Amino acid sequence: MKPESEKYQKIINLLKESGPGLGSTEDIERVVIRRISKGNYSRSWFSDTIDFLFSWVYIVWVRRALISASVILVFIFILQQGVILRRIDMLSSQTILNNREKVSTQVDEIDKLFIEYKNWGKRFPSKTITISEKQMQELLESVNELKLKYKDLESIIDSDPELQKMIQKKLNENNRLKINL
Amino acid sequence: MNRKPVKLIIFFVLMFMISCNEPETVVTNYVHPDGSVTRKIEMKSIEGDKNKRFKISEIQVPLDLSWSVKDSFALSKKSDTIWYRTAEKLFKNVEELNLAYKADSGANKGLSRETGFSRKFKWFNTEYRFYEKIDKNFSSGYPVKEFMNDDELRYFYSPETLKEAKESSADSLKYKALGDSVKLKTDKWTAYNIISEWIGEFSKLTTEKNDEEISFQSLKSKEPGFVKVLEKEDKGLDSLWKNGIILKMFIGEKNALKYRVEADSALSMVTKKLMLDFSDYSLRIVMPGKLIGTNGFIDSSNLLLWPVKSDYFFTEPYEMWAESKTTNIWIWLVSGLFLAFVVSGVIVRVIKKD
Repeated sequence: MKPESEKYQKIINLLKESGPGLGSTEDIERVVIRRISKGNYSRSWFSDTIDFLFSWVYIVWVRRALISASVILVFIFILQQGVILRRIDMLSSQTILNNREKVSTQVDEIDKLFIEYKNWGKRFPSKTITISEKQMQELLESVNELKLKYKDLESIIDSDPELQKMIQKKLNENNRLKINL
Repeated sequence: MNRKPVKLIIFFVLMFMISCNEPETVVTNYVHPDGSVTRKIEMKSIEGDKNKRFKISEIQVPLDLSWSVKDSFALSKKSDTIWYRTAEKLFKNVEELNLAYKADSGANKGLSRETGFSRKFKWFNTEYRFYEKIDKNFSSGYPVKEFMNDDELRYFYSPETLKEAKESSADSLKYKALGDSVKLKTDKWTAYNIISEWIGEFSKLTTEKNDEEISFQSLKSKEPGFVKVLEKEDKGLDSLWKNGIILKMFIGEKNALKYRVEADSALSMVTKKLMLDFSDYSLRIVMPGKLIGTNGFIDSSNLLLWPVKSDYFFTEPYEMWAESKTTNIWIWLVSGLFLAFVVSGVIVRVIKKD
């Protein structure tokens, strides 16, 4: 039994001595430590932030106060919006005038220009006319609108032969009445 | 004592302060969130004489040289010249506007008018209120609502353009009948107001006499009878009053002779109030933000409109008001974030508890 146990001991010693060559043990150790520490660091940072942000949930009176404030805020919001909507709804049932009470219009300016045009021998007097960008925009829009309406009118006339005849007749009458200059 | 014929009073009530020379005027108040008001007056006149046109003394609202004025003209369908004047001024606040009203030398200078502005921070919204108020003319008159139902009241306060539109609509018969009813009730209301005001003034003058027969309560109880006489004896009122017959019927022969001077003085005061110069105009208000309430009419441009007529402030102050709101976006954001924070906290607590 003794030589067998000696043999066993020798084999063990031999195996121990001839273990795998760990030339880069430091590298392995570094990588392992980095991975472990990285994982631990990420988890604790998030957890810490959450814990810090919501630490108030563990303080009963703060938690109750903030929840109450939120409920009050929601209640005020619903109440205010409800009242406003009801009032707007009541407004819509009030009388709405179809025409705007207006004393002067943009058309007045055009009338004025026409009068000047007539008075100055069908020429505009030499002066600077200042017009704002908004007025210019309005003028362009009204011209475009007029064009569209004119097109609509043309299509209506084209589609109705009777109307076409009537208009043609009226135009001929007008032409007869005109003095040929 | 100068005796004013009663008939003249009725005439003045019915024709109430109608003058011909004043321009057709629309006043627009553009209310800004800081309480300043840009006031725009648009006037229209067909008066040909340059010196008579747009005279400050004939304009319905305060206007002076500090306003920026723009004149223009146009030709009507009948080729008549129509003259326009637009005046604009920025008032820093309503107090400045009220000062202008106090210093008014225009057609309606005899009226007591004031404006007001308030702004309330209501967390999610800021609410604004603007009003223009004309003080009542009669101190002892009756509110018009005691004489008319809701439909009649709505018609009574309607702008002329709306009345005309309704009377030429498909329901023209209905609205013409309503118009006639309003006219009749307005006459009745006016008669009651004249008598009531006379009673008020007469009581003030005779209060020191301590006479039970001519006390305010005693005179008030005879008021309906007096109104009936006023309505019935339309043509002969002047002579009936001059001869003291009406007064005798009302307070008895003895008192009619005793208090003749006070009765005439009271009538004179009532006439003076009735003869107050007034020229109609229209008022518009443009509020900041979204409109949430008003007692005016809303036109197609979403502007508010009130006709201003003497009947409207005859016995009650006439207040034209509008309310609007603006949304406080930063408060919405802060409140939203706060709610999200609290809800998240509650969720975190539930998760951790599990």
